[in-house]
Amino acid sequence: MKKRVLAILLCSIMAGSLLSGCGGEKEENNKELVLYTWEGLFPQEVLDNFEKEKGIRIISSNFDSNETMLEKVQQSDGKDYDVVIGDDYIIEQVVNNGLAKELDKSKLSNYGNINPLYQSQFYDPDNKYTIPHGAGIPLIVYDPEQVDFEITGYEDLWNSKLEDKIAIIASYRAVEGMVLLTMGKSMNEEDPTVIKEAGEKLVSLAPNIRMIQDTNTQNALLNGEASVAILYTSQVIAALQENPNLKVVYPKEGLGFGIMNFFIPKNAPDTEEAYEFLNYILEPKVAAKCFDFVGYYCTNKAADDLVNPDLVVPDSVTKGEIIQNVSTEAEEVYNQNWTEFKAACD
Amino acid sequence: MKKKKSFGLFLTVLPLYFFTLCFVLGPLLYMIALSFASRGDGSSVVWNFTLDNYRKIGEPVYLQSFVQSFQLAFTSTGLIILLGYPFGYYMAKLSPKWKKRMMLLIMVPFWTSSLIRMYGWIIILQAKGVLNGILMKLGILEEPLKILYSYPAVVIGMIYALLPFMVLAVYSSAEKMDWSLLEAARDLGANGIQAFFTVTFKLTLPGLLTGIILTFIPSMGLFFIADILGGNKIVLVGSVIQDQLTRGSNWPFAAALAVVLMMLTSLMILVYRKVTHVKDLEGLF
Repeated sequence: MKKRVLAILLCSIMAGSLLSGCGGEKEENNKELVLYTWEGLFPQEVLDNFEKEKGIRIISSNFDSNETMLEKVQQSDGKDYDVVIGDDYIIEQVVNNGLAKELDKSKLSNYGNINPLYQSQFYDPDNKYTIPHGAGIPLIVYDPEQVDFEITGYEDLWNSKLEDKIAIIASYRAVEGMVLLTMGKSMNEEDPTVIKEAGEKLVSLAPNIRMIQDTNTQNALLNGEASVAILYTSQVIAALQENPNLKVVYPKEGLGFGIMNFFIPKNAPDTEEAYEFLNYILEPKVAAKCFDFVGYYCTNKAADDLVNPDLVVPDSVTKGEIIQNVSTEAEEVYNQNWTEFKAACD
Repeated sequence: MKKKKSFGLFLTVLPLYFFTLCFVLGPLLYMIALSFASRGDGSSVVWNFTLDNYRKIGEPVYLQSFVQSFQLAFTSTGLIILLGYPFGYYMAKLSPKWKKRMMLLIMVPFWTSSLIRMYGWIIILQAKGVLNGILMKLGILEEPLKILYSYPAVVIGMIYALLPFMVLAVYSSAEKMDWSLLEAARDLGANGIQAFFTVTFKLTLPGLLTGIILTFIPSMGLFFIADILGGNKIVLVGSVIQDQLTRGSNWPFAAALAVVLMMLTSLMILVYRKVTHVKDLEGLF
């Protein structure tokens, strides 16, 4: 009997609290902003401060792949979300399908803070639709104690002094792209004979390869298995945190970029709030917090002095190329090159 | 009455039949059909009949991956026999109390995921790891051995993962053996070695062959060991299939590779049945 009374009591409290939730919502102003991003993209502090300062409530939803994001934005015809983020190649499809709204830059007073290095890319050549937010750049990192010459570019990896000493990521397009750069070609080469040539050059790198792995590649460098590594951005940062004496190389042949971008869907319900949010994120202090948090390269020039210096690309870097989808035929050759390379490493 | 009973039986096995049809036979047929299709843009599939995928397997890179897989499987199985057979044999000779304890020791590692156990080997084998640390402390080595990310590391991982299957298979057939036969052989004048090969070895042969099947076939597919301990440098069929499914997005080709791999392993089982004249995996169950 006692239990039943307790249960009824609890139920009524729960029902009551539900109702009170409803009531509260009506009281507040109805300014809100719907974000659709990767999980863990913003530090909670940044979101909280924005809500407090601007009086806009943030509703956050997340996706776990670019493709999911595109599908959702497409299905809702750009109506459900106010600010969306995506990687370069998917942004191309967003823009081509007319799903992004042309930005009104007069509402973005901080627009000038963006580092132009990351703008005017293939998906948005005239910078009409997108705001870059963080870049990933695979780089060479080495331990100067183990390597007795200075590494300045990809070409140095072929040096016979590095026999069985290099750890690399398993992104075949990124690695083969680097080989193409040493040949003075584009990372997105489409000509099968040129790609084949790059494949042969890659095979000649095999004796120097210690291991190929996509996850925690930096560990090989830290635990002494390798003296040189090609790493993703997050791994570069993790490696430097553990061993600050490691040297990071911005290869002279050029870099491969991956850039995340914000856009406003064409039928976004709360456009004004979206501009306020984007402008807020472009503030140097806020941007620095964001990049420190996610560990991607800072795409905000004005934030360069505030952010972790490891996340700032030196001025010597003037150009980066983004890996794009290539024809099925070319793709096939890239793929086979990679298998041949791995087999040659044994 | 009888009818009712068989109906009950039918009902109990129905879920199993259903499961087998949906999740084994169905995907299998789909995979075989897929292996004759060709790839479209991205990871899509174009359904036109072609033998191109099978022709592509004939290319040296992919053929090499089959050779590599067989080589690794033979090497590991050979070493597992050398280690596992005596282990299982002597285990059967222990007192019942110790048999139980040994059994427990063999089973305990299975409580942890094999993937995690492989990462454990990284800690042991790496340049600044446990093994090199001990060897250098003892003054046996000056420079650390580069074992991790090499062929021997992969073989060590294979042996570690599959040894229990051999031990258990040999153990169970050695345990069932009538040891008085061995005494009889000795009484009739055979020396230890002769008695072993004429009696013990022949009687434990089914267990040994079961062990070989249980180690050889999985070792064809355990490509994650080659990836983790071999630093992704040894290209096995399994990793080629994985590559084609994920980054290569060439599903039909992956299906063709899988079909060929499946046929080769089936062939192994067929040979096993021809050699041993048994239809089931005897000894273990």
